[in-house]
Amino acid sequence: MRLAKYLKPYWWLAILAPLTMIGEVIIDLFQPRLMASIIDNGVLGGDMALIITTGVKMLLLVAAGGLCGILSGAFSISAAQSFANDLRQDLYKKVMSFSFEQTDKFTIGSLITRLTNDVTAVSDFISSMLRMFVRAPVFFIGGIVMMLSLNTRFALVMIVSMPIQLLVVILVFKKVRPLFKVMQEKLDRVNSKMREDITGARIIKSLVRENQEIDRFRAANEDLLKVSYTVGRTFAFFGPSLMIIMNLSVVAILMIGGLEVEARNMQVGEVMAAISYISQILMSVMMLTMTFMSITRASVSAGRILEVLDTVPSIKDGGHADNDPIESIRFENVTFSYPNSSGVPAVKNVNLEIRGGEKIAILGATGSGKSSLVQLIPRFYDATEGKISINGRDVREYNLENLRDKIGFVLQSSNIFGGTVMENILYGNAEHTREEGMEAASIAQAAEYIEEFNEGYDTPISEKGTSLSGGQKQRIAIARALVKKPPILIFDDSTSALDFKTEAKLRAELNKHMEGATVITIAQRIASVLSADRIIVLENGEIVADGPHAELMKTSAVYKDIYDSQIREDAAL
Amino acid sequence: MSEERRRGAQAPAEQQNQNQNRGGGGRGGRGPMGPMIIEKPKDLIGTLKRLIGYVGRDRILLFSLIGIVVVVTLLGLVGPALQGKAIDIISLENGEDHVDVPALVQVLLIMGGTYLLQAGINCMQGILAAKLSRSTVRSLRNDLFQSIIRLPIRYTDTHNHGDIMSRMTNDVETISNTISNSLASLVSSVLTVVGVLAIMFYYNWFLALLNILMVPISLVVTRFIASRSRKYYKKQQAVLGALNGDVEEKVTALKTVTAYSTQKKSFLHFQGLSREMRRTAIKAQIYGSVMGPVMNFIGNFVFLVIAAVGGYLALKDVITIGTIALFINYSRQFTRPINEIANQYNVIQTAIAGAERVFAVMDEKPEIDEGKAELAKEDIRGDIDFEHIDFSYVKGEQVLKDFDLSVKQGQRIAIVGATGSGKTTIVNLLTRFYEIDAGSIKVDGVDVRDIPKNTLRSAIAIVLQDTVLFLDTIRENIRYGNLAAGNGEIEAAAKIANADHFVERLPEGYDTMLSESGSNLSQGQRQLLSIARAVLADPKILILDEATSSIDTRTELHIQEAMLKLMENRTSLIIAHRLSTIRDADRIVVLDAGHIVESGNHEELLAAKGRYYELYQTQFAGLAT
Repeated sequence: MRLAKYLKPYWWLAILAPLTMIGEVIIDLFQPRLMASIIDNGVLGGDMALIITTGVKMLLLVAAGGLCGILSGAFSISAAQSFANDLRQDLYKKVMSFSFEQTDKFTIGSLITRLTNDVTAVSDFISSMLRMFVRAPVFFIGGIVMMLSLNTRFALVMIVSMPIQLLVVILVFKKVRPLFKVMQEKLDRVNSKMREDITGARIIKSLVRENQEIDRFRAANEDLLKVSYTVGRTFAFFGPSLMIIMNLSVVAILMIGGLEVEARNMQVGEVMAAISYISQILMSVMMLTMTFMSITRASVSAGRILEVLDTVPSIKDGGHADNDPIESIRFENVTFSYPNSSGVPAVKNVNLEIRGGEKIAILGATGSGKSSLVQLIPRFYDATEGKISINGRDVREYNLENLRDKIGFVLQSSNIFGGTVMENILYGNAEHTREEGMEAASIAQAAEYIEEFNEGYDTPISEKGTSLSGGQKQRIAIARALVKKPPILIFDDSTSALDFKTEAKLRAELNKHMEGATVITIAQRIASVLSADRIIVLENGEIVADGPHAELMKTSAVYKDIYDSQIREDAAL
Repeated sequence: MSEERRRGAQAPAEQQNQNQNRGGGGRGGRGPMGPMIIEKPKDLIGTLKRLIGYVGRDRILLFSLIGIVVVVTLLGLVGPALQGKAIDIISLENGEDHVDVPALVQVLLIMGGTYLLQAGINCMQGILAAKLSRSTVRSLRNDLFQSIIRLPIRYTDTHNHGDIMSRMTNDVETISNTISNSLASLVSSVLTVVGVLAIMFYYNWFLALLNILMVPISLVVTRFIASRSRKYYKKQQAVLGALNGDVEEKVTALKTVTAYSTQKKSFLHFQGLSREMRRTAIKAQIYGSVMGPVMNFIGNFVFLVIAAVGGYLALKDVITIGTIALFINYSRQFTRPINEIANQYNVIQTAIAGAERVFAVMDEKPEIDEGKAELAKEDIRGDIDFEHIDFSYVKGEQVLKDFDLSVKQGQRIAIVGATGSGKTTIVNLLTRFYEIDAGSIKVDGVDVRDIPKNTLRSAIAIVLQDTVLFLDTIRENIRYGNLAAGNGEIEAAAKIANADHFVERLPEGYDTMLSESGSNLSQGQRQLLSIARAVLADPKILILDEATSSIDTRTELHIQEAMLKLMENRTSLIIAHRLSTIRDADRIVVLDAGHIVESGNHEELLAAKGRYYELYQTQFAGLAT
């Protein structure tokens, strides 16, 4: 458990929690004894004063025990939550420092689960471990000692009932645990059927397949019910089995106790105390097994957390920072393959020089390596081979923040955060003013629709941007990239949701306001690339054509092919 | 505008569905070991009645369960009385000098027997409860699904998919747990309280009264702690939600965070939330952990009172020592069910609030279908007439106004226009996914409202931009177009759709399972499969709604060819951005703000130098206007 080091700063809490717990347990163990004394000496002995004095003593003890219990809870809860707080922050920092290939490897969804559910699972475990790992064994051993000190013959009851109890608990869990997994799978199936049908409602309705879908759903539902019923039935035996073990133990104790009272070895109050002890012992057996079961679950979570913490961020920060104007961006023999792909490079041996201020367009089919190529410039990924340099300096030598500050990168799928429109535009541009944000919005063709909103730039956007259309979100993302007027602008297929007219206007405005900027545009549509200084055509990760439109029409068969498929001969019109 | 907004609202809803799977902090995400957050239903009685209707569908089951619960509870009440008797036998009061062993054995045998019987019947109770929960959940889930699938498209378009899903999963789950646990526990608790009271009064009225006096004390204390801890738990849940939401947002947007170098800022924000989480969680959980010791103290206090007063009474020979033991046992059985009843009340309230949400979906009006025209799919030729159509998604935001369009059988019509001009709306109306506000749509001269929906829709096939494929084999996905089709027909359809090449190259061919996200096929391949499905459906009317816009142009050529084959001899409505898809149409209709502003074939429209020409110029010649 290497995560234990996160508990270290709170060691005193981690030690006090079990200590106070021992206090509570010991008091709990003595309490039936006091009860016995009240009954045997007070009630049977007719000593009213003894009842009161022992009673008050008992109440005080119980109060002290309760206090210990509460304290123990407070200590362990504080320790566990502080542990979780520190762990969470370290994890978050780590995840933020990951390069994209590392997040790709873990997948976004699994990173989120690790940061949330897994941390909670481990901290819950710690909180209960600090108490239960002490409580159960102390109760168990203490209970046995107290019981034997009452009368050694009670050992017989324990020897029979404890193993049976253990067996029942283990058997039930052995049977139920795999069932839970199956149940989860079946539940997933029911859910995915449901999701499938909600998203595919148009197709289902247009093919009039409602009845068939209902049948399919019923089948999936029936599957799930079968498993969950089996689980329910197993549990139906669990509770009563534990109860009957407990109750028959009580019967046995009464029998043995009766005989011992007859032999004048015990008094009736002690028999009643023995009944309390046996139930405490049997409870602790169950608690112990449960705690051991929870170890496996927590250790899975801990393993997943450690996996993240042990990952060394693959992108190393360089030291150089400058604000020089961009003279060139150069790719030299650049090859890049994604870590998960079976070695097939996404970018193959690319050589490319982009001069400062040039407007470059990159064209190619899906999967031809366009996005991969441009993501290497801000070091979202590092090239597998070769080097990329800005102004002759390897990008790996730049300070990451300085490097990324030079580049306005508009991603393929734009992320919108909860907050107002303006907050989204100024995201990552905190030092820029509202006016600059509005100017950027107007270049990005977003001003017009934003101003139509009731609250304009202060209109709140829901998380994930639910209230905006795809085109509106893209324009906010573009505005966001434009605010800081970066010398390099990269549009990674980020105008796909705009209609042509809007896109054309955007391009015209860009040319006007961002004249000196080096612009790299990735596009699917030929109309988006026609006006570029140079068009680069990628195929299977390789550059197959490079030049202005007119030249490519003559020299590149591939380019002409794409052109024809979209426009054909009569474009001259 | 409103069309744009509506489409925009759809995609994120799907994202949310996926997010739910990752276990973010959505509704129903309960905190660790926490008391539940109580939701209050709006119409408790009405919903409860309806829920009982579901539970009581299998009346015999319900009543035998209740019967068994009664028996188990009564047997449970006998236990302590017998224990008291046994203790009386072994206690040596009043100068008794020996234990009546045969009498003890007799009592203990009866006790053991009762316990065994109780355990056996208890098992039966558990099984019956599981059965009842199974039958209730079965009908609840099936009914809910049936309602959802029959809901008008408007509903799924305007409601968050994650929310609909959560009703199916979380809410039904809560209801199911409540039925299998709470029902029996409630009956048994009430019965126990009544039974214990009766027995206590039977043995000694004074001690019984004393016990009753204890109830308000313990109730007040527990209520106080519970309401406190619930308040903090609510806070903790809110912070947890915010924390999970932040993680989800920032990790999902890691590319943006990295591109803008805002890691540090994000971290500081997260740190604040994380610390807040620690603070509220500690408070909430400590309050939660106080309950146990406090209850323990109260229990012991009650014991002491009984022991003291009972001891006094025993001295006076009013009661025996066994009666004291009996009262100690019963007083434990007395406070527990009272707390239980209070707890169950909360659980049931939450379940009913869930049931209310489930019923709310069920109560949505399903699609109306008043079509009575006796018409078979084969009778439909494919003439379409839109006459004076008015339509708006949201009142006051008219999408189509006095819209007219007439299409002859077998014609190919392309509809172009800017986003939000109402293109997709036309499709929504023809298929009756939405109902028009005014005017009429006629197919072969018959108002579509008079044609049974199933007949109308089976005459139409649509191919959408976002392909819809199911978690099944490729073969079954194509067969979806016509369930009666044999393997030969399926393969023939795939051939027409140009899908046969890639399918046959897959190791398992037509029996390849599609993965849930469809990631084992490219977007283009998925689209070819949905075209194959449409081919198999053999519709009279075909609608292609941006069917190729998410596909790169070279793949599109392939699909283009398939679509041309598909469109042969069918009335086709094509909505597209791309010229290649549009230019060969018999007629091109240019939409703007719900009106047709131009119509004609490609050459005519270019020559007219109007709206189409303008679109054409900006789109294909790359010129700004």
